[in-house]
Amino acid sequence: MTTPSERMAERAAGRPDARAAEERSGVRKVQGRRRSKLLSRLPLHLLIVFLMVVWLIPTIGLLVNSFRPPEEVTQSGWWTAFFKPSQFTLDNYAHVLAQQNITSGFINSLFIAIPSTVIPILVAAFAAYAFAWMSFPGRNLLFIFVVGLLVVPLQSTFIPLLQLFGPRGIGITGSFLVVWMAHTGYGLPFAIFLLRNFMGELPREVFESAAIDGASPVTAFLRLALPMTVPAIAALAIFQFLFTWNDLLVAIVYLGAQNPDNAPLTIAVSNLVSSLGGGWQYLAAAAFVTMAVPLVVFLALQRYFVRGIVGGSVKG
Amino acid sequence: MSPATRVTLARAGVFVASLALVVSACSSSSSPSPAASSAAAPTTAGSVAPPSTAPSESPSASGAAGSLSGQSVTVIGTWGGSEQDAFLAMVKPWEDQTGATVKYTGTRDLNTVLTTGVASGVLPDLAGLPGPGQMQEWAGSLTDLSTVLDMNTYQSETAAPLVQLGQVNGKTVGVFIKTAVKGLIWYNPKTVGDLSSSAPTTWDALQQLITTDKSKAAAPWCLGVESGAASGWPGTDWIEDIVLRQSGPDVYNSWWQGKTKWTDPAIKQAWQTFGQVVATSYGGPTAVNATNFANAGDPLFKNPPGCLFLHQASFITGLGAFKTAKAGTDYNFFPFPDMNPQYSGAIEGAGDLFGMFHNTPAAASLMRYLVTAKAQDIWVKAGGALSANKNATDYPDDISKRSAQLLQSAKTFVFDASDLMPTTMNDAFWKGIVQYVKSPDQLDSILASLDKAQADAYSQ
Repeated sequence: MTTPSERMAERAAGRPDARAAEERSGVRKVQGRRRSKLLSRLPLHLLIVFLMVVWLIPTIGLLVNSFRPPEEVTQSGWWTAFFKPSQFTLDNYAHVLAQQNITSGFINSLFIAIPSTVIPILVAAFAAYAFAWMSFPGRNLLFIFVVGLLVVPLQSTFIPLLQLFGPRGIGITGSFLVVWMAHTGYGLPFAIFLLRNFMGELPREVFESAAIDGASPVTAFLRLALPMTVPAIAALAIFQFLFTWNDLLVAIVYLGAQNPDNAPLTIAVSNLVSSLGGGWQYLAAAAFVTMAVPLVVFLALQRYFVRGIVGGSVKG
Repeated sequence: MSPATRVTLARAGVFVASLALVVSACSSSSSPSPAASSAAAPTTAGSVAPPSTAPSESPSASGAAGSLSGQSVTVIGTWGGSEQDAFLAMVKPWEDQTGATVKYTGTRDLNTVLTTGVASGVLPDLAGLPGPGQMQEWAGSLTDLSTVLDMNTYQSETAAPLVQLGQVNGKTVGVFIKTAVKGLIWYNPKTVGDLSSSAPTTWDALQQLITTDKSKAAAPWCLGVESGAASGWPGTDWIEDIVLRQSGPDVYNSWWQGKTKWTDPAIKQAWQTFGQVVATSYGGPTAVNATNFANAGDPLFKNPPGCLFLHQASFITGLGAFKTAKAGTDYNFFPFPDMNPQYSGAIEGAGDLFGMFHNTPAAASLMRYLVTAKAQDIWVKAGGALSANKNATDYPDDISKRSAQLLQSAKTFVFDASDLMPTTMNDAFWKGIVQYVKSPDQLDSILASLDKAQADAYSQ
């Protein structure tokens, strides 16, 4: 039981078997190797740091501008703020946070994004397990159909779905429920695709021995497949949460026309700007208010990427 | 099993528990919503309250005050920020009086929301309409406002061309809730002196003035056409104003209707005239394409002045440096001068149309209230907006009052041509402006490609 599980852990961590064997062979040798490895990797690390800085520059610019008065933003670049005496102000944040619909939008956004993340992942995990480890007629055909749904642009579904959900159908547009259902539908194809591929990679032996020990498919799913899929679920949760948190179009189409009380943060933020573009200075500050939650979600789920599979699975 | 597995299981348990929470939250949070959507459900035209005969000076809703209490009207429009605040301030007295509430959503995706809404029946009670073109397409879903408004009062209070633009086959389906005069020439009296009594009335006189005042500013014209995805539109206003004055309203109308080609000499001549302005504008072509229209006029107030004149609609007073400058002393305007004396007195305008999708008693009451001078006064007082109602006079300054009079008393009134064109044509027009500013020598190929876009856009 030890050898296959260790091999699996190594494969998951992306390390070839040979190097893992060397690491076991002697502590001294490993320490020497580590020092030289660090040196040889220095250029790589510098490159990564450089790329990260390049990647971050627009965000840093946005952050700096969110603290500057609009007159200065229009007259000079954000980097000049550090080199010459310039004004910094909290007015932009004060204005954004004082808006009543920003506060309610924030709560509504949580109300929309959390269920819209949890529901599709839960459904997709069941479906992915079935597609990966249960045999039933038409399995591949059905999976191809689900993958095919990935290419359907969501814009083209608005009219038929609105007819179904709207007053001509079951009449639930304007409620949170309709946005959850929409996001679940839009998110499922990708979620099933990702989780099925991840679950399909899990070692067959694990499920075979579980079956020999008398585990039902439900037990195998809950106790084996689900814990071992945590890294993929975490990745998916981040994607899906970001998508639903940042979504403006689905919210405005399914909620906007009928019930502004349920409008999420994105609608509130877009309303800070007038139709002719006035009030743009508040957008940078609003962007950081919006960004706060996804950042927390990412940082909270990030550790599962690293620890997920090594910590879970079939050890012991 | 091992403790590790149990921990993960517990984690899975948390997932399930959170789902359970979510499901219970769902049932509690969505319960008020069906009520809201049933309130928004369409009612048959037969059950509609008869049009009020009360004088429109007082909100005619007052008669039905008790019955509307607790009801809500959903409204969707493009206004955000300060415009949204002004709109909400405008409906506040109506809310106080009737006890009903206005649920407003602002979005720049108005076209998407209403297009999908008209097709699926998911619509707000009242809505801003993107333009007269779309209004015609949706005429079947829009309420005939003659059953809602007191048409005699409405027609007597509103400029005739604006009433006409809100009609489809003689049926009034849209009212102008907010208007703007396009093609005003703004200047700083401290730079060029007070022109209120000696404004150039012809294009040649304006050129003369530019030559005389050459030394007073870095460049004759201020121009900025950047406006996000709509970049180029300030240039389309220029072309429209020139076509209207050079070739008259007939050519203007047949041009936006797609009957006059872009390569037609009349249209090409307008582009060339605009080219002279671009060539003599502050900062040169690169600056023109990079400057946001809202800040294009800022050099007027610079010291030393960057330019003598800015061509922009009446709403510029609510934007950029105009917002903090003082009307009359820091800035003033004169109407776009005539080019061909045959077509003098023509004015181009634009505005926000409002239509009604659900004829509920509360929505009808709000609609009646919105077109009154009393409501419009609140709107125009906030600045940057003109009213279509002749009796709304509570403008914040003389400048706005003068532009409103210009709108009311125009001999010939035309609506913004690019707003009347099909969307694809309008987009191509905007892009053509940006391209022309960058490379004026390619005018012929730009106009040829606009001809092609015209052939496609109007054939649909």
